Amino acid sequence: MRIRAAFAKQDAAKFIGHLDLTKVFERAMRRAELPMAFSEGFNPHPKMSFGSALALGATSVREYVDIDLAEEMPPQEFGTRLTEQLPPGIALLEVKEIPMYTKALMAVLNCTCYQIKVPLLLPLTQAKFTEVLQRFVGQDSIPYVRYAKNKGRQDKDLKPYLRKLSGQVSAEWLELELEVVLGNQGSVKPVEVVAVLREFGDLPLDVDGIRVHRNGIFICDGQGMKSPMDL
Amino acid sequence: MAELTHAQIWQVMESRILPKVIKPARYIGNEWNAVHKDWQQAEVKMAFAFPDVYEVGMSHLGTRILYHLVNSYDNYVMERVFAPWIDMEEQMRRYEIPLLSLESGRPLRDFDVVGFTLQYEMSYSNILNMLDLSGIPLYSAERSEQDPLIIAGGPCAYNPEPLADFIDMFLIGESEEQLPELLALISQGKQQGWDKATLLARAAAIGGIYVPSFYSVEYQADGRIKAFKPVRDDVPATISKRIVRDLDQAYFPEAAIVPAMEIVHDRVMLEVLRGCSRGCRFCQAGMLYRPVRERTPETLLRQAQAQLAATGYDEVALTSLSTGDYTCVQPVVTTLVQEYGAKGVGVSLPSLRIDSFDVGLAEEVQKVRKTGLTFAPEAGTQRLRDVINKNVSEEDLIRTARSAFSKGWSSIKLYFMIGLPTEEQADIEGIAALAKKVADIGIEAGRRNVTVTVSTSSFVPKPHTPFQWEPQENIPSLRAKQEYLRGKLRDRRIRYKWHDSETSFLEAVFAKGDRRLGKALAIAHSKGCKFDGWSEQFKNAAWLEALQEAGLDPHFYANRVLEYDELLPWDHIDSGVSKRFLAAEHQKAIKGTTTSDCRHNDCYVCGVCQELDVKIDLKGGGTVAN
Repeated sequence: MRIRAAFAKQDAAKFIGHLDLTKVFERAMRRAELPMAFSEGFNPHPKMSFGSALALGATSVREYVDIDLAEEMPPQEFGTRLTEQLPPGIALLEVKEIPMYTKALMAVLNCTCYQIKVPLLLPLTQAKFTEVLQRFVGQDSIPYVRYAKNKGRQDKDLKPYLRKLSGQVSAEWLELELEVVLGNQGSVKPVEVVAVLREFGDLPLDVDGIRVHRNGIFICDGQGMKSPMDL
Repeated sequence: MAELTHAQIWQVMESRILPKVIKPARYIGNEWNAVHKDWQQAEVKMAFAFPDVYEVGMSHLGTRILYHLVNSYDNYVMERVFAPWIDMEEQMRRYEIPLLSLESGRPLRDFDVVGFTLQYEMSYSNILNMLDLSGIPLYSAERSEQDPLIIAGGPCAYNPEPLADFIDMFLIGESEEQLPELLALISQGKQQGWDKATLLARAAAIGGIYVPSFYSVEYQADGRIKAFKPVRDDVPATISKRIVRDLDQAYFPEAAIVPAMEIVHDRVMLEVLRGCSRGCRFCQAGMLYRPVRERTPETLLRQAQAQLAATGYDEVALTSLSTGDYTCVQPVVTTLVQEYGAKGVGVSLPSLRIDSFDVGLAEEVQKVRKTGLTFAPEAGTQRLRDVINKNVSEEDLIRTARSAFSKGWSSIKLYFMIGLPTEEQADIEGIAALAKKVADIGIEAGRRNVTVTVSTSSFVPKPHTPFQWEPQENIPSLRAKQEYLRGKLRDRRIRYKWHDSETSFLEAVFAKGDRRLGKALAIAHSKGCKFDGWSEQFKNAAWLEALQEAGLDPHFYANRVLEYDELLPWDHIDSGVSKRFLAAEHQKAIKGTTTSDCRHNDCYVCGVCQELDVKIDLKGGGTVAN
């Protein structure tokens, strides 16, 4: 059977990397003696696939994972037993059985929202920020450069990924609401958006102090945004 | 600046520092099975300090044992601290954050005791750096009554002298014996208001504890040691190691910490036996951990069951100095595979000798997960293998390689040493010849994609071994041998790797060094030396300058032939193995005569069983290939 679970990643657990998180789940399931299903082959591993990798250092209110089990069991029981074994900061929110033919999370999740807080180095007025933001999102393309460890320099365009961007200025912080497209070709990172925006508007932002919180990952179609738990 | 509160520190770490460093999970703690105790309730608070990064330290079995052992006492708390990687240190210094324990996030200054484990000479500079990052004075003599007691143990404590200026006391031998006794004494001292001097004097009487400040050294004009004496009459002239008598009954953690990031040895570790009496003459561990003591299969299977349940690991490693020598290895492996194989749990045997290697056993292990095979012939010719008493023959290796290749393995790693005593050109050529022979056997056995990885390290003479009197070969000559092998091993089936000989040179200096090296170590630390065991961090030029500024000739320590009647810097530390035995073994080595394993032959009186009143303890009663 296949289980789809929603979980939160909070507090210091945000510093657990994506690959390590897979291990954290596997070990928790082993401790809970849950009947994991394994892949065939040379190095068998549990059949488990996550929705979308969360950047190291970001918290998330809701992430998703699909887990295959070799035996039937009530999803409720799965949830209770796994919860007892998950380390602090990783909290199971919802568990349900899904049909084996359900499309993979990676294939259906196509949109994600972030709440971002960036410290201000100098005072900034809401009016000035709004003006910069309007010009920023009004561009036909928003070029930026990404340096990846094994790919080197890549010239990219942020515009096709950008769905929504708004911001609120307070005394010490700029708080942003960001919605981006998750595509087969990847996506754009919140820190990249902020860095490009700062550069564009010469904004007094302390990008090093950025705090990123994922507010949800969704399936967006003509009718709006759906959770992968609502099938 | 004012001391930051715990909450303020975490705020800075969480928002400013951790997002900027690589592998931030090294510094967050809160792992599964980590022990969080009530600080106020604890009579004695100890920090266990591992002078290397998290993923190295957490892979060390001794660390796991001592951590859970001390925390099994209600009245003590032990928390962990590791060396922060370069990027983390930079941030900590920038934000003026001291080194913090993982569990409660307290600065090391708040602990009663900070204990460093000495696994490797090249981690000494990290010890000084960790004290520095903690705001604790480096020199014992400069620390006040308020500073924590700085202690150290582990294999390198058998020559503690290079660290004598910095460490208040050393625990000699298997510390699970005397550490609880020491903590009880510290607790008593706190209640009764002893000063540090009183505590040190009382500790020196426990047994297996060396307080360097209670001893003085005099030197001859040529630099050799003239006299080594206690400065007070209530401390022992020599310090004997402490040893676990009944390993089967000894404490072993059943719920080890499960890190939330990948570590080097990321699995359940069972210690099937301790000690090795094969008697390889270069091997320090083989001398220090005598005699051989085994655990029963029942105990091991119980520990495996408990640990798998408590950790969720998918692999069990049977660890020891030579797991193939465990008299019950076959039934233990078979049972583990039967019981846990279907659940995707693998078994691994990390240290197998060529002569104790059994392909059936290896196949059993491979039922779940395929891993590579590694063997250590150590030397290229039979003559030299006899000199070092590595009692394996070329036939052993050929036979083992043939059966491994025919059973489906395609890659084998071979470890050798260069610069061994009496080594000649023929021995170096022998390494290349052996590697080619093994590769040929692979082809014969029908493996088209044969890979033989040859790895050479440079011989480092170590204290308490028959080769302690031997010099290390000089760097140019070691380099020439590496170059020669590089040329000889140009073969698409063979990969050649070698260890940097400069690091080995410094390792020899500190392995055989005396108290005067403390000065060089402090200077090297001030020049920024740290993580010397990480080749990309090793600052050879800075080290050579430091030695020079300290007025020391490193060749005096590393490349000099020592005399049998010379007073050695570590002579006051007693491993139980007698100097007389070591000298006799050295003589036999020069003649190329071997010594057989005492587990299955007559006792040759190395001295350990007689002196420490312990016995070889084998659980299988079976015989081992010899």
